[in-house]
Amino acid sequence: MGRRSLSGAEWAAMIMAGAHNLSRHVDRINALNVFPVPDGDTGTNMNMTIRAGVAELERRPSDEAGKAAEVLSRGLLMGARGNSGVILSQLFRGFVKAAAGLREIRVAEFAAALQHGVDIAYKAVVKPVEGTILTVAREAAREGALMARRTDDLALWMRQVLRKAEETLARTPEMLPILRQVGVVDAGGQGLVCLYEGFLEYLQAEDPAADARLAEAFATAARQAQADVPSGRAETARGHAPVQAQIATESIVFPYDMEFFIHRTSPSGPFPEAEFRRALERDGDSVIIIDDGDTVKVHVHSRKPGDVLNLALAYGELTDIHILNMRQQHRGIIGGQEAGSAVGGATREAEIRQPVGVGSGAGGWSAGDPAAGDPPLGMEAATGILSPDDPWPASAAPGRGVPQPHFHAHEMAPYGIVAVSVGEGNAELFRSLGVDVVLTGGQTMNPSTEDVLQAIESLAAEHVMVLPNNPNIILAAEQAAKLAGKPATVIPTRSILQGMAAMLAFLEDEPSDVNARRMAEAAERVVDGQVTKAVRATRINGLDIREGQYIGIMGKEIVSAGDGLFDTVRGLLERMMENGGDVVTVLTGEGSDEEITRRLSDWVAERYPDAELEIRDGGQPLYPYLLAVEQ
Amino acid sequence: MAQVAVVTDSTADIPAAERERLGIEMVPLKVHFGEETYLDNIDLTPEQFYQKLKAFSGLPTTSQPSPADFFEVYKRLADAGRPIVSIHLSSAMSGTIQSAQLAKSMLPEADITVVDGRSASFGTGMLVTAAAEMAAQGASAAEIEERVMQLRKNTRLYFLVDTLEYLQRGGRIGKASALIGSLLNIKPILTIDDEGMVSPVEKVRGAKKAVARVAERIAADFPGSPVDLTLAITPGFTETAQELEERLKTAVNIGRQRVVEIGPVIGTHAGPGTVGVFALPMQG
Repeated sequence: MGRRSLSGAEWAAMIMAGAHNLSRHVDRINALNVFPVPDGDTGTNMNMTIRAGVAELERRPSDEAGKAAEVLSRGLLMGARGNSGVILSQLFRGFVKAAAGLREIRVAEFAAALQHGVDIAYKAVVKPVEGTILTVAREAAREGALMARRTDDLALWMRQVLRKAEETLARTPEMLPILRQVGVVDAGGQGLVCLYEGFLEYLQAEDPAADARLAEAFATAARQAQADVPSGRAETARGHAPVQAQIATESIVFPYDMEFFIHRTSPSGPFPEAEFRRALERDGDSVIIIDDGDTVKVHVHSRKPGDVLNLALAYGELTDIHILNMRQQHRGIIGGQEAGSAVGGATREAEIRQPVGVGSGAGGWSAGDPAAGDPPLGMEAATGILSPDDPWPASAAPGRGVPQPHFHAHEMAPYGIVAVSVGEGNAELFRSLGVDVVLTGGQTMNPSTEDVLQAIESLAAEHVMVLPNNPNIILAAEQAAKLAGKPATVIPTRSILQGMAAMLAFLEDEPSDVNARRMAEAAERVVDGQVTKAVRATRINGLDIREGQYIGIMGKEIVSAGDGLFDTVRGLLERMMENGGDVVTVLTGEGSDEEITRRLSDWVAERYPDAELEIRDGGQPLYPYLLAVEQ
Repeated sequence: MAQVAVVTDSTADIPAAERERLGIEMVPLKVHFGEETYLDNIDLTPEQFYQKLKAFSGLPTTSQPSPADFFEVYKRLADAGRPIVSIHLSSAMSGTIQSAQLAKSMLPEADITVVDGRSASFGTGMLVTAAAEMAAQGASAAEIEERVMQLRKNTRLYFLVDTLEYLQRGGRIGKASALIGSLLNIKPILTIDDEGMVSPVEKVRGAKKAVARVAERIAADFPGSPVDLTLAITPGFTETAQELEERLKTAVNIGRQRVVEIGPVIGTHAGPGTVGVFALPMQG
């Protein structure tokens, strides 16, 4: 059998093994970092923190476990960096309490240390948020307490604690929407798992008697965990589409994740483990069997949970039975993603509303909220093994409060925006200003009421703003807004550049009536102009216009005309600038000319030196130049 | 009763001379250029910082003070029998206040009031200097806390950044993230909202217009009455900062004006060329 106690020096060596393993994974952890502030330094902070602790241990070594724990704790506290570092320093304070006055640490103290650490950390954090390092630590501690009653073998015990930590880590995206949205597991939690991995490595290396087969089963399970729960594939860099969505829910062959204990009724000799394993593997995988004499712990992913229970019943009474449907969990995860990615608006909203900073008002995850998907597994599973005196009942801890995120990944965005435009450049400009759907349409190809309606309905938003950007489309848009199954407001913009001005006035945080007013006013302030070719001869405003000549239109009025494109644009802009203007915007379209655009730019710089001129390639047909002047 | 001690952190960007004059205790955050670590506004002046920033490939990172850093200062003040009011950088942007609170919990006997300034740079600085002035006049910790809460509501701050990239890369972009990637030359006018997060109040085209709008906004926020105005700039007094100063002079009834420099930690997250205006009604 394995090692049952650690001296102060051995315990310190174990801590160092953990620190070493953590330092190897710093970059990976940094890449996961999105909460509380997505600044990519959780790994660095945890590493610096634990290194400070280890440095202190090296400086003041002690063979008394209690003293060593004090030394480490002091080093961690001094060196704590970042939120995760601070939390880490609090978690390890648990050892000080559990090992006080002791020369050696055994499983019982280790388990107590984890639980004390969790208690201290939860108290220390102003507003604890679930789905973080805190949750991972809590669930691991709970498992530790449970396992401490079943074994005093440190390596065996640590293995289970680590497995629970990994499982909980894999579930963090279900608890913290920002993680689900970005498709990663919690960075701080990952850091803790790395530490535990290092601990186990040390305990196993020092434990020649460790059961090799169990170790292998564990490794297999760890691999499985990588393959069929979010932790492995969630490890994409932030900002990228999560990989979960690429895996079909149906590809989870053995959907029921089962865990239970068999209390053997008549233990005559060792549990027939090999035989039982084969039976389970006929229709399941990820089998883990831990024979602890009277009690056997079983974990399996199965297609038919009833069959598994019947098989197990042959050996004794079953307790602490947990069955979870992993397909359901998976649907919960990708459901959130689809809502976020199918519609640009929802994704954008979610980014804006990501919780920033502990204490910034991230508040309570609610199990009853259908939008939150499945209840966090860590919590559900935990209720079954809660001892009556558990200081952190899953649902009713006063003061701790289960966190309430700012948003759920599949919650509706407050706003969606539809704009009608023409030209690839203009569409891109609109999208860069925050428009979710750009409908193609203009003078000669107006989108239908139905087109606009469909665009409105496609957005998972509480309120949709519609920018028709053409006088001929305003009515159809208003019709669509009336028919829509959700509130929609048409801002009566008559040109593309009015539409862009309206988007500039739009502010995410304002209520819809305020935004509607601001946007309409901004559009009104724009003096807009367009240059095109006359389709027939006419005489208007004292201008004799022949078919095919260039004409410059300000608002609805033709104010310049001629054979020369440059002169027509210049004539138009002079009229537009008559009442002054700070910002001139030009969108070039089909039929524009680089040389003329350059001359125009030089002329504006000379004639209106105080104005800011911006020229962009709009790509619209029929109108070589669209112009706007704003005060 | 001993005089209340006022503690803040380095991100309040209060000039050293002002801190000394008012007896303000300052706990520094840290700036890391790769493996090198500097104490904010202590090891590194704003000038040195922006020089290093130019030369450094990649971005520096920052970290909050450890609980022990706060513990040391609190302990010294508490041992001298002084009540403490500790005012800090917005908790929505930094864990600094978390460290302060932990240090407080380690000194259960001491009289420590930790206040979330829900602001940054001289937005916190204004609150801290006002607190220190009150402390000098013998105000109690409770009186100071109440006044700081009230002041926080009456102050206005706006800032302009050269690029949103620093805010985004440092993860402090808050509600301005929608403005990233615009293809038009948009200058958002930013503020720090009631939740202590960066938030856009208006989007305008071009820096000139942005500067003019900031001055107009301050004038509208404090109609008629004299304003206590602070301009926070990065070293070198950029053209934008100069223009803003000019515009403010003509648009606003200025009761008092000072200029402070944006320090390394705030500079890491806002970027070079940032300019901020902090205003509150003139006192007394």
